[in-house]
Amino acid sequence: MEILKIEFLKLRKKTRIWLGPILVFWLIMIAYPLTVELLQDRLQIGFFSVLWIAILISMMLATEDIFTEDYNDGSLEQTIIQESSFQVGIGLKVFVYWFLIGIPVSLLSFIFSFGTTQNFELSLPIFPLSLISSYIFLNIFVLGNSLSLNKGSVLGALVTMPIALPVLIVLGKGMTALQFDINFESFILLLLGSLSIIIVLIPIVVSYIIKAHLE
Amino acid sequence: MFNFAFNSFYEAIYMNGHGIYVWSVLFIVFFSLLVFFTVYRYKIKKIKEKLDELN
Amino acid sequence: MIKKFIHQFASPKTFLLQVERSYSFIFFTSLCIYVFSIVWGLLFTPEDFVQGNSYRIMYLHVPASFLSQSLYIAMAVSSVTYLIWRVKLAAYLVIAIAPIGAMTTFIALISGSIWGIPTWGTWWQWDARITSTLILFIMYLGLISLHNSFSNYEKADKLLSWLVIVGAVNIPIIKKSVDWWSTLHQSASITLTEKPSIDPVMLYPLIGAIIGFFGLIVCLILMSSKNQIFIREKNKSWVKDYV
Repeated sequence: MEILKIEFLKLRKKTRIWLGPILVFWLIMIAYPLTVELLQDRLQIGFFSVLWIAILISMMLATEDIFTEDYNDGSLEQTIIQESSFQVGIGLKVFVYWFLIGIPVSLLSFIFSFGTTQNFELSLPIFPLSLISSYIFLNIFVLGNSLSLNKGSVLGALVTMPIALPVLIVLGKGMTALQFDINFESFILLLLGSLSIIIVLIPIVVSYIIKAHLE
Repeated sequence: MFNFAFNSFYEAIYMNGHGIYVWSVLFIVFFSLLVFFTVYRYKIKKIKEKLDELN
Repeated sequence: MIKKFIHQFASPKTFLLQVERSYSFIFFTSLCIYVFSIVWGLLFTPEDFVQGNSYRIMYLHVPASFLSQSLYIAMAVSSVTYLIWRVKLAAYLVIAIAPIGAMTTFIALISGSIWGIPTWGTWWQWDARITSTLILFIMYLGLISLHNSFSNYEKADKLLSWLVIVGAVNIPIIKKSVDWWSTLHQSASITLTEKPSIDPVMLYPLIGAIIGFFGLIVCLILMSSKNQIFIREKNKSWVKDYV
């Protein structure tokens, strides 16, 4: 609980880091209607694709410097030595990022979805889908960021992007299922199942990767 | 089992219009293999020369 | 016992000696099998009732496609071996396989696209199997770029191994994509558990092509790993003696 509190306070103070991705998400969603001048009355056609890509990009930006500061000032080394469970620490760090960035982005997803489609039944499931997918993306990009620690976040994002792409495929299929009302729940369950594995595995893998960096 | 599937050599090349696809894939596969074998052979030769110099 | 066996067999020196001894045999046998099977498949098998002669691309596409996934699994197994037993050779194999895996995936994609023109009427479709194979190709490129971005080989090996293991999640997705989603790509004609849905006259040259191509790819991996061993162990006395 103490670690959670510290991580929360640390991130809350760094306004640029948590507010930046939310604003980028906002800007992409506002920019979308501006780029489809001739399709103003049929914005919903490509809306969900843009939405998922916007979530992906904002989560990628959110994790850009997740370990950099701790790595540069040596506190990452300290944490490994002191903390009995480094993996739990990483898991909580990701949770705090999701809490401060993922949840607002998911809320915005729902609002933008309702604003564009004017369909509450179609927009409501967007909220849980965004919540789950943003958490999955965060974990994946945290893995990428740990791999490319002190090498720039672009490399990490590039090497882990292929792992995130199947999630996009599932989201796309899920939206089709939702629109045609066929077995949508199974897609939510599939994403939840993936998330439950990722939540456990990624912090463990990331902890080993960071140890490899510091050895 | 080993009967020639075509009536003439030209027919085997043309394959009822599908020859262009089949032979181009064959070329790509063999070309890729050739490039990779050549590159690795060259790399090993180079590093052996370098190690010889060090010796 | 496993550890002892792995460490005895996986010494780079022993491996190199084994490579020297078996390379020529594997290469010439595989080349003969591959060329024979390709000639058999392309010229001596009957025309397909539905696809016409374009189905002959299968003899080039299927082996590449099969190996593109198998090589990733081989990389994942090597990664696990390296991380658990700290076998250096396993780490060399991971990075030695990556470019060859990228090549086979590239061949699978290109040959599939060309096959798609006469069969589906399009060279590309954003369907599950094709897209997931493209993702696999990008993954191979990502693995190579990750390894190349670190000058410290040991660190690069560890990071690469972890990424390979995590990325292995894509393999069942690619394998099962044709069954899970509606797609233009047909389901597998040959499986381990069921009788092949393909006629034996067409099947035998296909099996030959897979075996031959597999052998040639093994030869490429042997050459690539030999190159890695020379690069990494260049300061060791045994390498100097060997050269």
